[in-house]
Amino acid sequence: MKLDPAAAEAEITGILAGFLSKPMPLTGDTDMVSDLGLESVQVMEFVMEVEDHYDIALDLESLSHVRTISELAAAVVRSLD
Amino acid sequence: MTDVSLMDKFAALGRRRDELSAGGIDPTRVVMESMLSATEAVIGGRRTILAGTNNYLGLTFDPQCIAAGQAALAELGTGTTGSRMANGNFAAHGALERELAEFYGCPHAMVFSTGYSANLGTLAALLGPGDCVLLDSDAHASLYDGCRMTGADIYVFKHNDVTSLEKRLRRLGERTARTLVVTEGLFSVLGDKAPLAEIVALKNRYGAFLLVDEAHSLGVFGAQGRGVAEQAGVLDQVDFIVGTFSKSLASTGGFCVSHHQALSVFRFASRAYIFTASACPSVVATTRMALRRMRESPQLQETLWRNARQLYAGLHGLGLRLGPEISPVVAVRFEVAERALQAWRALLDLGVYTNLMMPPASPDGASLLRCSASAAHTPEQIQSIIDGFQAVTSPAPQERSPDRDFAP
Repeated sequence: MKLDPAAAEAEITGILAGFLSKPMPLTGDTDMVSDLGLESVQVMEFVMEVEDHYDIALDLESLSHVRTISELAAAVVRSLD
Repeated sequence: MTDVSLMDKFAALGRRRDELSAGGIDPTRVVMESMLSATEAVIGGRRTILAGTNNYLGLTFDPQCIAAGQAALAELGTGTTGSRMANGNFAAHGALERELAEFYGCPHAMVFSTGYSANLGTLAALLGPGDCVLLDSDAHASLYDGCRMTGADIYVFKHNDVTSLEKRLRRLGERTARTLVVTEGLFSVLGDKAPLAEIVALKNRYGAFLLVDEAHSLGVFGAQGRGVAEQAGVLDQVDFIVGTFSKSLASTGGFCVSHHQALSVFRFASRAYIFTASACPSVVATTRMALRRMRESPQLQETLWRNARQLYAGLHGLGLRLGPEISPVVAVRFEVAERALQAWRALLDLGVYTNLMMPPASPDGASLLRCSASAAHTPEQIQSIIDGFQAVTSPAPQERSPDRDFAP
């Protein structure tokens, strides 16, 4: 399955909006830790939701530099290539 | 040239420490000024009940363990001054390994100088680039650290969620033959058990391997005290069991036992084993005696569970939000970190020491006051702990909830 990065970013933004307990402004550049105040364990839980949505496995190394929604979208697109 | 210094990264950590110290005693710097027994210490000049020590069987002041340690000090000296591979390999280290192997019914056992290094040393020997790890998201830092050292691909599954684990096993396809599932028997923070029978069935179906950390379950679960795997009836199907001597066995050190022949050569591949001094003779001696005392005294486990049930029921009766099941680890959940810190300090002022856990060291962003029951607690001490929680939480109804369990 090929996925367009922009489409992935939009879809992941939607998943994140559902994951958050209150509405927050979200863009591709939103940093999940510094902008949204998520703890690292909460980021991991969100990533697991994204993995299940796409039925993929993202290893911790490929996530080590991921901070923003668009970076996570890029990691998802790479794993589907 | 940049004006960023190597030391700049510590500024934020320093501010956080100052915040923690600002309102009173810093929870990360509690000093046990003297030990009065396995369950009491002097803290801040006050006699204090220890409600968070992981001293599950209460053996820290066991006379036979102390005598064994004293004899080893006199006969073998204070330290080994070397690693097992060199001059630090004493007969007692091998004896402890044989006793552990016999206890678990496994042909192979290896001991390490700490529980942390047991996990690092085992995982680093076992895994390498091209291998995969499926790790429970709530796993202890030593398991994360050990996996990260190896170059293996690490995938996290949802805590205690076998559906989440199976999805990830399926996604790995043929790589499952090179996959290690890593979890714990009893999880140390919330006191919940892994569903090991289901996890064993899954790893067998997919041809993967399983490592279980029984650090908090040795001496606590199973007819012989061998942990959650024994209680679940799957001890012989767990590939690697790791654990620590620093909880039920009341000393320091760690171990790995396995049916796999490979463990017999781990000691040549495990840097955390090779490049560190072996455990002191007195530590090995008290560990061996504590293992014997545990095996000879099943009533210790019975007393522990009596105390655990009393503590859980008492705190539950106060309407506090506790972990999902009764165990010797009883964690009280607070939604607001500042309230948890206040309650922790107020309990200490009342002479009750608990473990404060705040993000990022706690699961799902909540803060916890974690208690652990000991076989050495008296029913009166357990009641004092409950009374302390009642006193410090009664004006705060927001911590009370009709749905006592942790929200998923």
